[in-house]
Amino acid sequence: MNGLETGKPPLLEVKDLSVSFGDFEAVKTVSFTLQPGEILGIVGESGSGKSVTCRAVMRLLTGAARAQGKVALDGQDLLALGEEELCAIRGRDIGMIFQNPASHLDPLRRIGQQVAAPMIRHLGLGRREGLRRAVKLLEDVGIREPEKRARSYPHEFSGGMKQRAMIAAAIGCQPKLLIADEPTTALDVTVQARILQLLKELNRKTGLAMILISHDLGVVADICSHVVVMRNGEVVEQGPIDDVINRPRHAYTKLLIDSQPGRKTYGTADRPDRGAPLLEVENLSVSFSSGKGLFGGLAGNSNSFRALDGVDLTINAGETVGIVGESGSGKSTLARSIIRLNTPSGGAIRLDGQDVGALGGEALTAFRRRVQMVFQNPYDSLNPRLTIAEAVAEPIWRHGLADRKAAQKEADALLEMVELPRSLRDRKPRQLSGGQCQRVGLARALALKPQLLIADEITSALDVTTQAQILELLVKLQRERSLTLLYISHDLSVVSSFCQRVYVFKAGRIVEEGVARQVLSTPQDPYTQALVGSLARLPSLQTTPSAEPVSIHAT
Amino acid sequence: MADTPVLAQIAPPARRITPTMPVALAILFGWLMVALTAPLIAPYDPDAIDIVNMLSPPGAAHWFGTDQVGRDVFSRVLYASRVDLLLCFAGVLPPLLIGTTIGLLSGYFGGVVDNVFMRIYDLTVAFPFFVLVLAIVGVLGPGLLNFILALALVGWVSYARLVRAQVLTIRESEYIQAAKCLGYPPRAILSHHVLPNAVGPVIAYAVSDAVLVMLAGASFGFLGLGAQPPLAEWGVMIADGQAFVQQAWWICLFPGLAAISLGLGFALLGDGLGQIQRRGVTA
Repeated sequence: MNGLETGKPPLLEVKDLSVSFGDFEAVKTVSFTLQPGEILGIVGESGSGKSVTCRAVMRLLTGAARAQGKVALDGQDLLALGEEELCAIRGRDIGMIFQNPASHLDPLRRIGQQVAAPMIRHLGLGRREGLRRAVKLLEDVGIREPEKRARSYPHEFSGGMKQRAMIAAAIGCQPKLLIADEPTTALDVTVQARILQLLKELNRKTGLAMILISHDLGVVADICSHVVVMRNGEVVEQGPIDDVINRPRHAYTKLLIDSQPGRKTYGTADRPDRGAPLLEVENLSVSFSSGKGLFGGLAGNSNSFRALDGVDLTINAGETVGIVGESGSGKSTLARSIIRLNTPSGGAIRLDGQDVGALGGEALTAFRRRVQMVFQNPYDSLNPRLTIAEAVAEPIWRHGLADRKAAQKEADALLEMVELPRSLRDRKPRQLSGGQCQRVGLARALALKPQLLIADEITSALDVTTQAQILELLVKLQRERSLTLLYISHDLSVVSSFCQRVYVFKAGRIVEEGVARQVLSTPQDPYTQALVGSLARLPSLQTTPSAEPVSIHAT
Repeated sequence: MADTPVLAQIAPPARRITPTMPVALAILFGWLMVALTAPLIAPYDPDAIDIVNMLSPPGAAHWFGTDQVGRDVFSRVLYASRVDLLLCFAGVLPPLLIGTTIGLLSGYFGGVVDNVFMRIYDLTVAFPFFVLVLAIVGVLGPGLLNFILALALVGWVSYARLVRAQVLTIRESEYIQAAKCLGYPPRAILSHHVLPNAVGPVIAYAVSDAVLVMLAGASFGFLGLGAQPPLAEWGVMIADGQAFVQQAWWICLFPGLAAISLGLGFALLGDGLGQIQRRGVTA
């Protein structure tokens, strides 16, 4: 299975592949081979050229791109083929699945038809036979009631189910190779674990060779036997997965491994001091009216969705509290309720015993100074028309804490504090990287010297190495400024390495709470257990896994 | 996610000025200069009647010829540019300001106000633009001022809807959430954060709207509902000349060419602004 050494001819051979867009070289002399039945992982940050490499293999690059080198599938050079021959290979010999299943399914056609389409086209099946096989495939990829589901439209499927349908469509013609480009990035962790399990099973049962592209070393380590680490369009390291993870040779690979969430503890968890309760949330409920029709206002809100349902939590001064849950579990709704971006339908939020909901006028402004929030999307959370120095200075002079000139000076100090070089101060957000923007967001939130800082998924849009840097910065700031921190994330490993206490959210309720380490090591609630079980963690240094990685899933 | 930085790097270096822009600016600047200096460069009084030389073809004395009462077409075209340029601004600016304000408020605050304005909008777009302007001018009576008033009454809805659509997406963006969370007053959020990000497409639209207004002005002049004779206006001149088009093509041709060139200038400017605006955010 794992053999550059075995005498078998490789299924896919990529040799000295370079891809350039104009003057910019996205991929520089990349070489790797893939044996039949093997799963190869390609890891790297965004912009490292991993997706471009695979698109070059599929010949899916845009017209501006120029690919050079050799890409041979079963000895046939793909780069030399004409468009017609390529069409015969794509979908039949090579299947591909993408990051966002929603955008690759036609919303107007039934799932069954879409799964059947490549088979009807490539294998010359009749419509009826194609549909019959599609139903079988849907069953194979673990979709319940496949006959009924084949008649559904994409919008009736969840994200995980869509990705399963995409996989079904991709493997319909029994391709020799499946390329999966970040197939689980857009999915929740528990769903992600199940999709990876499915890919692993497909590989074991049918011997389907795969290339798995991911920014997440944990995911790759979980199911791949070989790994290629890419950075800036170059391969920095490749080899069998346990060699690379346990004995990384390149400094970048080491950095990537160390940046994995959960590899590192940040020292906040050990702080003994427990202050008085700063923020108390009592029996908080938030509901949104859904399906607001023409007469929605008249008919009353009979049809409402409860985003939060009776939530109680306490945050003590100086504490770091984590909130974990999947998308839709109400984490962000909680954050938005605390900072009064939406109105609760019941319950109370108290800061130092004062009801936040009742604040107005001057008291509300004072509250804004005490509680601040950093948002999820690094680019969207900054006004594109303002330079970063302006954005950071604005809260200071708007709150009358200093005149504009003094505020500018203070903003410079803040930017320095979040470790942004001075030369960037006059740039617009679009000219910065995601990590840099997130630092600006942090500086802006800290400009009013808040007591409580809410961080809502602030690292989920960032690469792992950047994520580790931001977390480190957050810990440093917390220490220096004695901040109380509410850290919201879908990533249990980040939260547990970073927070003292965690609350686990599911469907608007708290299902488990407690000291971070305990919740992670001995989860009580079945949902938390599933969450802990689905962590795609790197194998620890001591236990070297076999070539066939042990299943750590709790599906 | 993986692709964005690559794409950002492979995008060709942003050219701030598209090739259409210099042409557009040259045309518009040229007409502006003509309008400002018309009394200096016009060889004749635009309204001076000279029966002896009526309907004389273009020549050394009268470059664009004379019309049916012997007025110099060249001088009249120059003077008319003042009326038509003014018409463009007077026809675009009021709806732009009214529409932007209404769109901003109704998009940001939503609720009843938004509902009311959107119903008015629905009512207005149910009628063709020209028909509605025609009806209003018909009620108010012919004349330039009434024409401009009618344009403002009908034109604001397009701006309001454009701004509202922009505001609806901007309102949900995290930087507006952040601004609220930082405790900025609503007025500051609207003027400082929402408006600058919403106004780009509006400016581009306003410039192309200027073309429409100018053509409308000429058409209404032609129909006798806009500028009234003897005031020199390109539409009016064409209307006057159409009876003589068999013998004296020059009476209609030159004002027509002038109108086309000014329209082209605005259209190119709108095009160029649109391109810059689309690129501006990413560059």
